[in-house]
Amino acid sequence: MSVRAAIRRFLGVALTLIAVSVGVFWASASYSRRARAEPLEQNPFRYLPVFFNAHPSGVRELAAIAMQRVARGGTVAVAAQLELARLGGAALPYVLPALDSLEPNSRERVALALTPIALRMEVASREELSDGAQAVLFWTRFWQDRAIDFRAASVRHLTLRLAERAIALRREDLVHVDTFALPALIEGLGEVRDANDVARVQRLTSVLSHVTDLPVRSTENPSLSEARRTVDTWQDFWALHGSEYTELDGPRRLAATFVETQYGKWLAAVLRGGLGRTRTGESALSVIERCFATTALLLLVGLGGGFSLGVLWTRFERRTSRIALRYASAVLGTALAAIPCASFVSLFAGRSAGLGSALCLVTVATAAWVSRHLARSTISEGRVSPLAAAFSVSAPLGATYPPLVLSAIVLVELAFELPGLGRAAALSLASGDVNAWMATSLALALTTLLLRQAADLLRPRPTLGSALVEP
Amino acid sequence: MTEALSPRRRLALAVSAVVLLILLAALLAPLSPQLLGYARGLQFAVVAGALIMAVAFLVAIPLGTLAASGPRAFDAALRFVCDLFSSLPTLFVAAVFWAWADRSLSYVCALGALRGLEQAWLLRCEIVRLEAEDAAAPHSLGRTPLLAFLKLRLPAALGPLFVSASFSVAWLTALDAALTQAGLRPHAALPTWGLELAEPHGSPLGATLAAGSVALLTVSLHALFRPPRVT
Repeated sequence: MSVRAAIRRFLGVALTLIAVSVGVFWASASYSRRARAEPLEQNPFRYLPVFFNAHPSGVRELAAIAMQRVARGGTVAVAAQLELARLGGAALPYVLPALDSLEPNSRERVALALTPIALRMEVASREELSDGAQAVLFWTRFWQDRAIDFRAASVRHLTLRLAERAIALRREDLVHVDTFALPALIEGLGEVRDANDVARVQRLTSVLSHVTDLPVRSTENPSLSEARRTVDTWQDFWALHGSEYTELDGPRRLAATFVETQYGKWLAAVLRGGLGRTRTGESALSVIERCFATTALLLLVGLGGGFSLGVLWTRFERRTSRIALRYASAVLGTALAAIPCASFVSLFAGRSAGLGSALCLVTVATAAWVSRHLARSTISEGRVSPLAAAFSVSAPLGATYPPLVLSAIVLVELAFELPGLGRAAALSLASGDVNAWMATSLALALTTLLLRQAADLLRPRPTLGSALVEP
Repeated sequence: MTEALSPRRRLALAVSAVVLLILLAALLAPLSPQLLGYARGLQFAVVAGALIMAVAFLVAIPLGTLAASGPRAFDAALRFVCDLFSSLPTLFVAAVFWAWADRSLSYVCALGALRGLEQAWLLRCEIVRLEAEDAAAPHSLGRTPLLAFLKLRLPAALGPLFVSASFSVAWLTALDAALTQAGLRPHAALPTWGLELAEPHGSPLGATLAAGSVALLTVSLHALFRPPRVT
């Protein structure tokens, strides 16, 4: 095979895999939306569009909406006050300059709504902000004095200094800018490799949990794994809420139309490493590592063995001279192919059958299915090299029976509680665990695609018209 | 197996199998609620099976023909779509269809379209093979290319499709049973054979009858759909 052909095949697999990832993600989103309410409630990205966000919201938009609602007053103002408090210092560069544009009463309402932020930033006491006029005066002066601190470069510098060494003043400086420091703080967490990294994570976590009011605390002497878990927790928080604390402008707004979607968030988790984390906190990659061997064995034996057996069966049926034997073989084959695998699974599942029975079931199901197609169709068994053609993407049966065999694999894995990719995928689809579903279903798809591409390369081709058979 | 039977006898065999099943269902249904489920399952299997076959043929014949004889890009597109669907268990695709479809009719039509894609690839491969061997060339003398294709090559290439179509009821029941057993069937409102087969506390008689009926229907459809020959 030439390099050009190899590249074309590789690109074909990559493109198919991308399309599969889009398809299975849509499948997961559709299934969760329609099937049950429970997974919906558990999915942290449920409010985002699946693939395209026409109106992504950054801190500027969220702060403006919250400020308008607070200014208007009424019942919606209560939720808006909480939203302003949550957005914290990140909202101040947009709220404080806009205070002057509000009418006096609205201005006082907004200034008072900012009180929780001032308390968290430790820049005022509750008594200083008890009155609306006082609050307006405070925030006007605050912005005159401190606007210069709300710059990304200076906050990054402060974070670097705190990351290097713990001094109370450095921590205070960051607390004074509140959630405005979040991007720099999250970035500052970095990777955890040694004791110095653990200490850095501990210092930054103290500020992070203070400004976000989240109960993520480091123990006194955290281990490396504990520190890594803490970093993972903050990374998850940032993946979910990052855009709410940053401004979306120019290219970032354009990128946000994709990034701020359920698919974009999943992709970001994948790019962070480990293919994201499952609901149980386990890396999705480790789920694949655990489940791959069982499914690969079932695939190889089920598809390879089953196809070979099917071809032998067909040859026997065609060559035998006894009519009764031919009839019996045909009826048995059709019945075995027709009776759902689920019925046999139900019969065997209660017993201590294990992997052996699972392999037998998948192999027999494949053999019966293939033999019926070969025996009755105009596809000649003489053209098929049993093992290679079993997986080949170009073979006529290539699109017909592999999905059924894969379904049988999922079933036997579930029934016999085998730790396989199919079982993990089915359980995660049912429970709405997006990361686990995506990782396992993509691993299953990639394994099938690669096996079939490899078989296609090994498959002997008929000399006549072979170029036509290959698209 | 059925090469010796005439087309009329093969049709009679298939029809009598269906009539036998309907009679069996009518007789057994009043006896117990489980058997009533079996009778309703038969209704669903026959109607949905026929619908799946019809939709699959509607999708497969034009797509397969275009992929084999039309622009090369179309062939590549069909292969891409087939690769896409065949890299995942049909079980998962059916689960999503089941969740997506508001009514069972949409679900069955979606399954028919999926089956149509698989059969389109079968048809495309068969047409390409026949073209390469030029099996119908001597018979096409004096006919226009289109007429020769429609009268000779297409009917000759439909063999694998018919074989595949005879498994439609079995395929549907298998998927349904698998969905139930895997816990991926969001609502179990529809009484089907798949449900009978996969329900852990279902009636053994109902399950046996369902499995036997699927096998009988498939065998009779298998007998009915003999691959045509170019004469």
